[in-house]
Amino acid sequence: MFERHPETALIPYSRGELSGDERARVEAHLRGCDRCRGLVESSSAVLNAVGQMMSEVREPDWIAYRAELRRKLAARQEPREAWWRPRLAWGWRSLAAVGAAAIALLLIVSIRKPLQPAGPPMDQIAMESELKGADIGLLQNYKVVEHLDLLENYDVIENLPSTPQQGNEKSS
Amino acid sequence: MQVELSDEELCRQVASRDAHAFDLLVERYQARAFRLARSILGNDADAHDLSQDAFIRLYESAHKFDGRSSFSTWFHRILVNLCIDQQRRSKWWRRLVPLSGSGDDDDTPPIDPASDDPGPDLRIIESETAGELRAALDRLSPNQRAAVLMQAEGLSSKEIGQVLKCSESTARVHVYRAVTELKKAMRNV
Repeated sequence: MFERHPETALIPYSRGELSGDERARVEAHLRGCDRCRGLVESSSAVLNAVGQMMSEVREPDWIAYRAELRRKLAARQEPREAWWRPRLAWGWRSLAAVGAAAIALLLIVSIRKPLQPAGPPMDQIAMESELKGADIGLLQNYKVVEHLDLLENYDVIENLPSTPQQGNEKSS
Repeated sequence: MQVELSDEELCRQVASRDAHAFDLLVERYQARAFRLARSILGNDADAHDLSQDAFIRLYESAHKFDGRSSFSTWFHRILVNLCIDQQRRSKWWRRLVPLSGSGDDDDTPPIDPASDDPGPDLRIIESETAGELRAALDRLSPNQRAAVLMQAEGLSSKEIGQVLKCSESTARVHVYRAVTELKKAMRNV
């Protein structure tokens, strides 16, 4: 038995929503409460009147309604695509431009590479210049050397002055 | 034999952009969506637009339907929220720009005074009752109005609670208070 009137449960009861214990308790209360029985009846009458009012709503032409709905839906999708398309196109264009620039840069680098080979290490340069310096004396006596075809005359070469200055001193 | 797909199954197909499934759902729900929107908003034009907006929302967010509640409850939540938001907006607007009464509208067809059909007294009483009922509905809070209309439409207290995002007992209170107010209005007729 409810201590108070189960007012908020009366409508769910009258519409068959209650189950088990709650339904049994409301039924027990209603057997001994005229006021709540009256509330059940009046609430049902109000809900029926509301339902009646709702059912009297003049319905639109459903074919036209659905056609309009499809147009609205299409219109909502259209701007989105139009909004995307230029961005997408611009994105692809810029991506292609960046790609082309990267390829061009690679080509330039690969073409220029053989023309400008990397120089030898510094030690090697120093050694080569030392050797070249050592040969300079020999080249300065090139006129004598170019007439020597025989190995026996090697002594002549050996006795050549190491620098032109030495040779001038010997001759003077 | 063709098996009729459930609302939930159709909604899953709508999430995969199935236009036919969407059409079927619209056909199933268009009348009650329009009726409920019309009853909450009180005019055909807003009901027309808002119920269509609800279907557009359904199409766009069908992938968010997770099946925790029935499709009917989920869709009613979309519809009722749109209607309540619209009412709040329009009330704010009406406060700034008061509208003239509906009877002053020039487009309203005049009542034929020479009509041969006087109509039974009962019809007048019913009309008055409907007018009072409509006025009383407009005076209810948005949640109370939505709750009592959904109850009259056949939704249970539990479903009303899910639509309004409140407990079942709160939904019962909304319905009870709304019915009490409507009773007072009907007694005055």
